[in-house]
Amino acid sequence: MNSQTDVLILVGSPKARSTSASLGDHLAGLLRKRGLSADTLHVTSNLRQEDGTRALLSAADGTDIIVLAFPLYVDSLPSPLVRALELLAKHRRGMEKPPRQRLLAISNCGFPEARHNETALAQCRIFCRDAGIEWIGGLGLGGGGMINGLPLAKRGRAVKSVLASLELAANALATDTPLPREAVSLMARPLVPVWLYLLVGHSGWRRQARKFGALKKIDDRPYQDKVKTA
Amino acid sequence: MDINGKDNTGPERANDMKVLILDAVSATDTSPSDASMGRIIENEFLKAGWGVHTIAVAEMDISPCRGCFQCWVRTPGICVIADAGRAVAEAWMQSDVVVLFTPLTFGGYSSSLKKAIDRVIPILSPFFMKIRGEVHHKPRYEKYPALVGIGVLPCRDAESAALFSRIIERHATNAHSPWHRAFILSGDRECRGVGDIIGPIAAREQEAA
Repeated sequence: MNSQTDVLILVGSPKARSTSASLGDHLAGLLRKRGLSADTLHVTSNLRQEDGTRALLSAADGTDIIVLAFPLYVDSLPSPLVRALELLAKHRRGMEKPPRQRLLAISNCGFPEARHNETALAQCRIFCRDAGIEWIGGLGLGGGGMINGLPLAKRGRAVKSVLASLELAANALATDTPLPREAVSLMARPLVPVWLYLLVGHSGWRRQARKFGALKKIDDRPYQDKVKTA
Repeated sequence: MDINGKDNTGPERANDMKVLILDAVSATDTSPSDASMGRIIENEFLKAGWGVHTIAVAEMDISPCRGCFQCWVRTPGICVIADAGRAVAEAWMQSDVVVLFTPLTFGGYSSSLKKAIDRVIPILSPFFMKIRGEVHHKPRYEKYPALVGIGVLPCRDAESAALFSRIIERHATNAHSPWHRAFILSGDRECRGVGDIIGPIAAREQEAA
């Protein structure tokens, strides 16, 4: 171990309370139970700070394992996390002999199907290649809205497969062994049937719009007068 | 730089086709020829009679998306952050083609371009629909622009190139683009030839219109 902490969890959601943070926090707890130290850094708020870049690079230098926990934004990572990876790759490429590091990525999306995460996880794998970091693997979760930033323990049986996946991932990180395929398939398992997810989702959007007095405007087309019609 | 970017209508403008170029390359130093590539792309569209709107995203003050979804439930269709990100979404909807011009970054968009793209989600509906058996957001509008991705690499990288094509394809599905194309340019020679790939697209679409 070369580090100040064994595992650094980089949370890529811009929200203070997020599903990404829920997943990262739960994994951190499992790692601590296995005797590893784990710190969390929220990338968006970190990069807003004056010395954010230095703090990010310093935290990354002081760890053996990096875990990226992020929401899927437009088939990819949120922009602040892309920025963080650009900085990290450049930093490591500038080192004469970068220390051994490993990386696990956990992507969650608001669509019910986990496969939407595949492009973002592939980007994380290419980041590892470019930065000289060992790629442990990627976990993709669909239906992230079911967790909605709550602690996983509070979601109970509804997230049973997520909890099981993170247990397997924690074992792999703690024992320096490959990520089991079962961890990937458990994380990708639908939390609820698609029809139910859509029903709950649509009702949720309407409820939130009603709260803001915007329900009647929810299908508005504010740029319609400028949209060209065929 | 104006907050809305730069509009350019050449003297030869012959139709009302419009292209939005989100340029994340010209302000970077990825390759000596990159800075001129943006101008070459603009010129190919101008030659075919298009209206050209270029936004140099790396130079724009665009805040990252907050993930608050208020653009769907509070001010439907408009981002609540009042900065140049709103202009990107508006310009997107005014265009027939959007060109995403980026240093290829881990097979995808650079952070400068991604910052702008993440702010375009107000153009979609929060509600879901199935496309080819997979759930996506419904369109908010009847018509959306086509998507052309141009990724610039310092040297050939098949893995990144394949992923970029996939990302453009997925992005086009999510953004309800009627068609999409992805191009990778690596090395100065290929970069100087960017006009050869854009010219035929501009001419073909202008004729189709």
